[in-house]
Amino acid sequence: MDTKELEIALEIVARLINGDSVSRGDKASQSLYQEYEENGQIYDYVNLILKKMNLTLYEYNYSLYITPGENNKTFGYSNEELKRELGVKLNRELYLCYFIIYCIIIKFYKNSAVSTYTEYVKAEDVIETADSLLLSFTKELDLFDMEELEENSFKTIAMVWEDMPALTVAEGTLRASRNSKAGYVKMVFNFLTAQNLLLENDKRYYITERMRALVTNYFEEYKGRIYQIMKGEAEDGEY
Amino acid sequence: MSEEYSLLRDIVYEHNERIRNLKKCYPFFKLAENSFQQYKEGKYASLDMGYIIMAILRFFMEENNFKEKDVAYEEYAAFLHVILQQDFAMYLEEEEEGELVSYIFDKLTNDGHPFTYQYFEPLEKKKKTVRTRWIESKMRKEQLYYTLSADGIAFYLETKEMKEESSISVAQVLLGKMISSQNFKGGIQVIRRINNEVSRLKVRKQEVLSALGSDVFEGTKAYDDFVKTGMQWFEEEQKLFAKNKQLIEKALEQIDRHGHLADSKAKDIYRLEEELKKAIVRHSELLYECTDLQYKADEMIRTAKFSRLRQSFDFTQVCREIMKLDSPKLLELLVNPLLCLRTKKTFSLAKIDDMLTVRLKEGEKGEKVKAQVEENYVYPDELEEERIQNNYRVLIRSLLEFGQERESFTLSQWNERLIQEFSSPILQNGDFYSYLVHMCQKKEYPLEKLLKMPDTFFEKQVCLALQDWDRQEEFLNCELLVEPDVQEKVKMGRDAFEVSDIHFSLLYK
Repeated sequence: MDTKELEIALEIVARLINGDSVSRGDKASQSLYQEYEENGQIYDYVNLILKKMNLTLYEYNYSLYITPGENNKTFGYSNEELKRELGVKLNRELYLCYFIIYCIIIKFYKNSAVSTYTEYVKAEDVIETADSLLLSFTKELDLFDMEELEENSFKTIAMVWEDMPALTVAEGTLRASRNSKAGYVKMVFNFLTAQNLLLENDKRYYITERMRALVTNYFEEYKGRIYQIMKGEAEDGEY
Repeated sequence: MSEEYSLLRDIVYEHNERIRNLKKCYPFFKLAENSFQQYKEGKYASLDMGYIIMAILRFFMEENNFKEKDVAYEEYAAFLHVILQQDFAMYLEEEEEGELVSYIFDKLTNDGHPFTYQYFEPLEKKKKTVRTRWIESKMRKEQLYYTLSADGIAFYLETKEMKEESSISVAQVLLGKMISSQNFKGGIQVIRRINNEVSRLKVRKQEVLSALGSDVFEGTKAYDDFVKTGMQWFEEEQKLFAKNKQLIEKALEQIDRHGHLADSKAKDIYRLEEELKKAIVRHSELLYECTDLQYKADEMIRTAKFSRLRQSFDFTQVCREIMKLDSPKLLELLVNPLLCLRTKKTFSLAKIDDMLTVRLKEGEKGEKVKAQVEENYVYPDELEEERIQNNYRVLIRSLLEFGQERESFTLSQWNERLIQEFSSPILQNGDFYSYLVHMCQKKEYPLEKLLKMPDTFFEKQVCLALQDWDRQEEFLNCELLVEPDVQEKVKMGRDAFEVSDIHFSLLYK
């Protein structure tokens, strides 16, 4: 084992875990990226170390990105941690945020292979998408049985969403809050910006390279597992 | 008895639909009752909420459906200012009026929440909740706008006449009657209602399109429903438009011929004609849009079918699946991988309580695990391999023994020997033929050399046959020569096919 190569590999891994970039375009890390790309031993070390840590590495546009994947107890977020980060209290509110995040993904990608060529999104676009996706549930809400509403169901999410005004008169401008649809979307925007998945410019939100790297690679690679889990859920539901 | 049964059945089965139809009226009565009694100690009790509601709905209808624009809060406030002064002679300070206008708006929008009420659902014997709202809000370019909801429009339209299958057709029949009775002013109002209905259908068409875009299955249902409730009446509606146009033309002819109609009436007829023309144009537009909808719906359904064949991860389809499973928890699967690593971990202090109060279960016995013998499976191909190996061993040894006796011999001679030794079915054994084929791949087999380094499959079999044979030593110095003779044919057993003869020689070095 070559200590020097292992050292470089560990430096790359450390940078990635700390959330720093390893990229050809970044002065601080371009030499590391070059080593990773040209030295097979370092390449192997980096991949091995990350694999043992249950992390997945993706190379996109001459940069490296890692993801904890789903259900990673060490590096992933627990629901409570996510609620704190987002600023929500209840599970249904957290799921609504998940849903809004998914709406944002859909605005940019219909599927992992084809981008929608959307350059940026605004709060109103996301509200519109969420409205139309939840249409089938909100229609049902015209008539419902309060006792039958489950805590974690789309009907509940739809109710939380539908019972809010688009923007409260008191707010006036777009501010993160749990009082309106726009407030929720802003809350999610802030979170995704902090997560380096979106970039804000004049109230327009652009998708980052990191988000592109993960959307195009992760879901392609793990689609089988995701479908399997969904299938399991469907079968569980049948009993 | 059957009459009573039918009565009860009607009551039970139709109740749901009746309540649904009633829901659009609920906000009116809820608001009209005591709305100003409690506000500022009844200071504005002279105001009639019912009248104000109708005026606001009419204003929204004018803006949303005639002018086709959404309403900003300021526009609404300006309109109500006029109503308060004109109809109630209420001249208030700007701030006070602002408060009153905001109060009315909050009441009308129910503070941004839907109006809800409970009723008894006789089929399921449960209480259910009905929701409705008249005014919807939406954001555009950072500005909030308001529009009438379908329930709001339906309520306003139905306050004046009964809704039939096609409101446009009903309105046209009414229009025809009004023209015949020379009530041209009333006719103009009816045409406006027709325009409202056309606008509602346009909004509905847009809703169907967006439903198709988000969920093709739900969208298809909405589309079918729209075809049933809206589009199928178009032909009839157009006929009625033509009929009413003729009626107006007749009225106009009457003016030309006799000139006996008053000027104001003539003006009304001209206005009516103008309005009808506009309505026909709008109706044609709707017709065009619906044809476009048909085309788009087909295209969207086709695209949805194709995308099912793709290998990539389809976000919209997965979203639909998750919604179908009604398990929002699954969204975690899709969102969590996108997040950064959570390297800063915190420990909840509440967990200390859990640790101190947790009770250990007593005497939980572990399950005894017995030592098990690992089963050894023999697979069919292994069985087959073993059989081939055994058969080859027998044949190779027989060949060498025969060679030892004769030095050189032919296949037909060896066949006879084999029949003596193992009886005639041996010539029908498949392994015997594969043995001959493998053997004929080479002409010389130096046995000692072959034992050290077997080259072909047959040589490997020879090795195996020799290795555990106590007569191995006798053949180590031998070389087996195999020479096929294509001129001579050998019949393999009774009624069997022929093969070329082979000359074998076993040479001692």
